[in-house]
Amino acid sequence: MEAAAPVPAVAPALETRGLVKDFPVGLREVKLRAVDHLDLSVPAGVIYGLLGPNGSGKSTTIKALLGLVAPSAGECRIFGRPSGEVAARRDVGYLPEAPYFYRHLTGRELVGFYGRMCGLGRRELAERVETVVAQVGMTGAADRAVETYSKGMLQRIGLAQALVHDPRLLILDEPTAGVDPVGSAAMADLIRGLRDAGKTVLLTSHLLGQMEALCDRVAILDRGRLVAEGTVAELAGGTGRQQLEVDRLDEAQMTELRAWLAVRGRGLHGVAAAGRGLDAVFLERVGRVKGEGKEL
Amino acid sequence: MKGAPFSFLRLGLVAQNTLREAVRQRLLHLFLGLALALVLGARSLRDFNFGAPELKFIADCGFGAMTLFGSALTIAATAQLFFSEIENRTALTLLAKPVWRAEFLLGKLVGVALLTALFCALLTGLLAAVLWVREGELMALDPEGFRGGRAVSYAMVALGGWLQWLRLVVLAAFTLLVASFARTQVFAVVCGFGVLVICHLQHLAQEAYTRAGSAVGVALGGLFGGMFPNFQVLSLADSLAAADLPAPGTMVRLTAYGLGWALAAGLLAVLSFRRREI
Repeated sequence: MEAAAPVPAVAPALETRGLVKDFPVGLREVKLRAVDHLDLSVPAGVIYGLLGPNGSGKSTTIKALLGLVAPSAGECRIFGRPSGEVAARRDVGYLPEAPYFYRHLTGRELVGFYGRMCGLGRRELAERVETVVAQVGMTGAADRAVETYSKGMLQRIGLAQALVHDPRLLILDEPTAGVDPVGSAAMADLIRGLRDAGKTVLLTSHLLGQMEALCDRVAILDRGRLVAEGTVAELAGGTGRQQLEVDRLDEAQMTELRAWLAVRGRGLHGVAAAGRGLDAVFLERVGRVKGEGKEL
Repeated sequence: MKGAPFSFLRLGLVAQNTLREAVRQRLLHLFLGLALALVLGARSLRDFNFGAPELKFIADCGFGAMTLFGSALTIAATAQLFFSEIENRTALTLLAKPVWRAEFLLGKLVGVALLTALFCALLTGLLAAVLWVREGELMALDPEGFRGGRAVSYAMVALGGWLQWLRLVVLAAFTLLVASFARTQVFAVVCGFGVLVICHLQHLAQEAYTRAGSAVGVALGGLFGGMFPNFQVLSLADSLAAADLPAPGTMVRLTAYGLGWALAAGLLAVLSFRRREI
């Protein structure tokens, strides 16, 4: 049995201190730095977005947090426990990017398999499998072989396996990659629900609009370095401007409004027609409303 | 929070899953089909018996099929089942759970050992059935020649199957050891066959070097002898007679020899895999 490391009383859900990861490249094993002195602290109970272009070190950071790669320097902790310890991963559910699972198992068997790997007893396991399969809206397809699943269904069953042991922390790597807008919206609702249930969610995605709507805090990585960190409002707000949505004004009213603003030392910087957005139209036309969460 | 001790349950789950995946692969069906065909067809090949008694020839064909196709199956299945986990990234999901890498790797080894046990049990059973039927026919044709009853010791056939399985388990462990650090499946397969050749032929090489009096050759032979098991040790007397049955103590020693090598290679694989980045 591994020795238990001392755990601080109130520890962040995730923490990296001076994390460095170098990969040897080529025959001469020249070092390629994927993560460069990264300091992150993810408080418990939030949705935390990890953003960055391809190759910015997001996946490597996640792998280091999960103990799948060894840091070249620095340390990673999960709820205060070094992430290299097997026991630290009891608190973590992980959904990899583009998940691939054992094709011959059914969805229910797959979730059950991972549940047993996490040490769930038979009675508890059956209950948890039913709960999480229903939570991700897969009850109807749970007895089909995984090889027959669509990409969206794979993401959902992947989320179910990540949730089966009821972890405090979820790490979701591109959970909506390749998923249609309906599924994407349903996944977003699921993630919000998890946060509301007290879970911490670490999320990566290239869909910045979705991240902005979902995340409580975000960190932006570039070339392995942390270039920005904070709440969405702190990072994306702060222009000193507001958006007002009003009924359509004709040209005379617009001129009047400009004059009214000018008297008060304010300017009108942009006018655009407010639409419902293609997302809303799509969701409406395919017969589902956001939040239904039936098809990902 | 409690620690996460090594769990044989998790190891067993990985093994069960490995076996389930293996038996669905066409590779197994191919090698199994070829081996079964060779055992069943041994009777029709008796013109090539090089003077050996017919029943002995059938047994040799059966064990030969087990060695040839069993080795190919073991090496290919071990490498394939390991690399499919890495390349398909199922290992990523699994090792992100509270699972020891040793549980994962030894589970893979046990899964392949179960697969080869099935293979050997099936072929040994079929071989025994073919021998039994042919022996019955020969007894009917020549009652005088079988005055003392059946000549074939079926316990000897079963022991032959057991020793064959031990060889395959050792081979699987060495292939897994290579796979634990190899970057490609092809490399692991090629090295697996290399190990097979060394294990089968090292005793001949040592004898030849000793006869030739080559100090370097003897030293090299000794080195290889220390690094690889001698599969010649894991073979029965060249006979099917009950009189040649090894003593129980000998079988226990042979079993310990085979499983000891497999365990040693398996533990080295675990050590190597601990450092691997997934």
